Amino acid sequence: MAQPKSWQFFGRYLLIIIITVLALFPVYWMVGMAFKPKAEWTSATGEIYWLPQQPTMENFTTLLTEYRGQFFRGNQTSALPAIINSVIVSVGGTLLALVIGALAAYGLSRFNTDSGDFPFYIALGRLFLLVLALMPFMLVMAWFDIVNRWYGIIPLILIGIVLDYVIGGLMARFYTRGPVGNLAFSILQLRMFPPIAIIIPIMIMWSALNMIDTWYGLVIIYGVVTLPFVVWLMKSFFDDVPRELDEAAIVDGASYWGTFFKVVLPLVKGGLASTALFVFILNWSDFLVALLLTSSEWATIPVFLNRLVTAETGQQHGPRAALGLIAAIPPVVFGLMIQKYLVRGLTFGAIKK
Amino acid sequence: MSSIRLDNLRKEFGPVVALKSLSLEIGDGEFAALLGPSGCGKSTTMNMIAGLEMPTAGSIYFGERPMNGVPAGKRGVGFVFQNYAIFTHMSVFDNIAFGLKVQHKAEAEIRREVQQVAELLHLGDLLSMNAGRLSVNDMQKVALGRSMVMRPRIFLLDEPFSNLDAAFRFYMRGELKRIQRDIKQTMIYVTHDQVEAMSMADKIAVMDYGILQQFGSPDEIYNYPVNTFVARFIGSPSMNFIPCSYQVENGQGCLVQRQGTIRLPLDERRQQLIAGHNGGDQLILGIRPEYLRLHDQSHPEAAWSGQVYALEPLGSKTIVHLQVGQEILQVAAPADCRPAVGITQWLEYNPAHLHIFAGATGQVIR
Repeated sequence: MAQPKSWQFFGRYLLIIIITVLALFPVYWMVGMAFKPKAEWTSATGEIYWLPQQPTMENFTTLLTEYRGQFFRGNQTSALPAIINSVIVSVGGTLLALVIGALAAYGLSRFNTDSGDFPFYIALGRLFLLVLALMPFMLVMAWFDIVNRWYGIIPLILIGIVLDYVIGGLMARFYTRGPVGNLAFSILQLRMFPPIAIIIPIMIMWSALNMIDTWYGLVIIYGVVTLPFVVWLMKSFFDDVPRELDEAAIVDGASYWGTFFKVVLPLVKGGLASTALFVFILNWSDFLVALLLTSSEWATIPVFLNRLVTAETGQQHGPRAALGLIAAIPPVVFGLMIQKYLVRGLTFGAIKK
Repeated sequence: MSSIRLDNLRKEFGPVVALKSLSLEIGDGEFAALLGPSGCGKSTTMNMIAGLEMPTAGSIYFGERPMNGVPAGKRGVGFVFQNYAIFTHMSVFDNIAFGLKVQHKAEAEIRREVQQVAELLHLGDLLSMNAGRLSVNDMQKVALGRSMVMRPRIFLLDEPFSNLDAAFRFYMRGELKRIQRDIKQTMIYVTHDQVEAMSMADKIAVMDYGILQQFGSPDEIYNYPVNTFVARFIGSPSMNFIPCSYQVENGQGCLVQRQGTIRLPLDERRQQLIAGHNGGDQLILGIRPEYLRLHDQSHPEAAWSGQVYALEPLGSKTIVHLQVGQEILQVAAPADCRPAVGITQWLEYNPAHLHIFAGATGQVIR
């Protein structure tokens, strides 16, 4: 590569610096605000304080104390349960998606044969046909008034899976005479709905299943929503592991499970770690789902952040910044822990390509 | 240790027929090579013998035991892949011990067996090393060791040495041959390198387009190729082919090259053979470069003459390309033979080593 000219060099770094500053400014502001006393984070004095003049832990103590029915102060709940809730449901959802997703991805990588390119409208058409096909079933359920009962919802899901399979098969045979998308694509098409489009029906379903404001309700929905990411990311990692390694293990007498756990999984642990981080961040920062599927007991950090406002105190920006700082710690620590895996995969050099 | 019998084996991948119909019998303790260009179905055959692929039709027997439906791990085969396929996240020891550990063998026994195999392959010093840090040569040795330690009844090697550097490949060929003789293993060796097949195997199966072309000892395949494909594929430089027709002149049957520049009188036996074969005007004469001899001057035995077209000095011999009429023939000449390009040379052929093939089918007439 040619040596860049000095002005190119200068311009490049200037751009990098500008982008870095833009990206880091909110972080700087949050960290600074977390340690400012109330007088500095409100506009009370009419001045902007770029750094805390009198650093204090006041925001953190406010955040973590709980009082009830005190005169002039009303009620305040501690943020501690919300933090614990967030950890439980995010980790739970991530684990659920990883376990199911990694196994599914391995299966798709090694045993799926129905793959190939197909136009996007085929996939959308397939989805549309599925919705159409499900409508009569929904009407029947509405007739019998079991739409919001578990014995209505669970059969509907199973019917949906079967119908999707049937529609895919029919389209392949009579319309495209080629690929119409495979199981992997069906999993990805879960993501074609923006969460906000499906969250209300899910809320009704969760309510019917008594899963509103429970830890498992959140774990399941987080697992389901992030599953497609896990499947697709992990599938690409598994695809990079040469098939000969599996075959060598199988010829030497290992079972499929043994091959998966002893040979393949150790080779993709870097990919697994980065997938886990990605999914964890998605779950950890989710607001919409947690807002609608929790009421009080299992509120998570983002939901709690939104509640840091009372009639007496107004917007509690200081404690919010403090909670934001706390919330930033787990992903950062996790990211540092797996940093070496984020750089490159482990299979490098396992086989000559 | 076991013999292998393949009975009308066929494999299709969707619309693609990888293997048409293969019947083959490999004796106990024999070293057989599957030889053919890439895409000829040899790796598919191996995968089916190992149980990694199921045949579309036909059966596989180890000894008298049918193997259809027996899972790969229970067939007692060892498989060494072209791309080593070693487990880079494990040590060399753990790699070699993998199969034994899967079988839950006793710790002491595993240690002893692995040690023994490592000694055999000169890997003793590397056992504790991370397998990912090995050189390519050692990786392939580890892959070999991982299969050997299982004492498989049948050893399958799928182009195991094609990624190794030339000197080491040569060494490993010798080693493998020695190991095979020591442990009397039935081995099947896939390769597209005819030198490798010729130098190592007891029997060679030459394949093309999913069809077995010829199965026999290296000498048979070399000296009596059944068709033009085998004749062309085996031998380096490869056999000269001259399109000819059969003509009778003054009571003497002759092969005459299309433009008439080459004519070759035939003996009694061959005359009868060709007379009984219809399509005598469409024949191919095959003769190997080493059975042609160059002369500087006209010579009573030298039937043809031509101009030197090019030279390939190979050190041990010189390949002379000679233009005879329209044909360019390759001649294996002695190492010190250096005729100037363009000069006329006379050719003597060895009539005992002529091959005549039917032009339409490429099958030998003999």
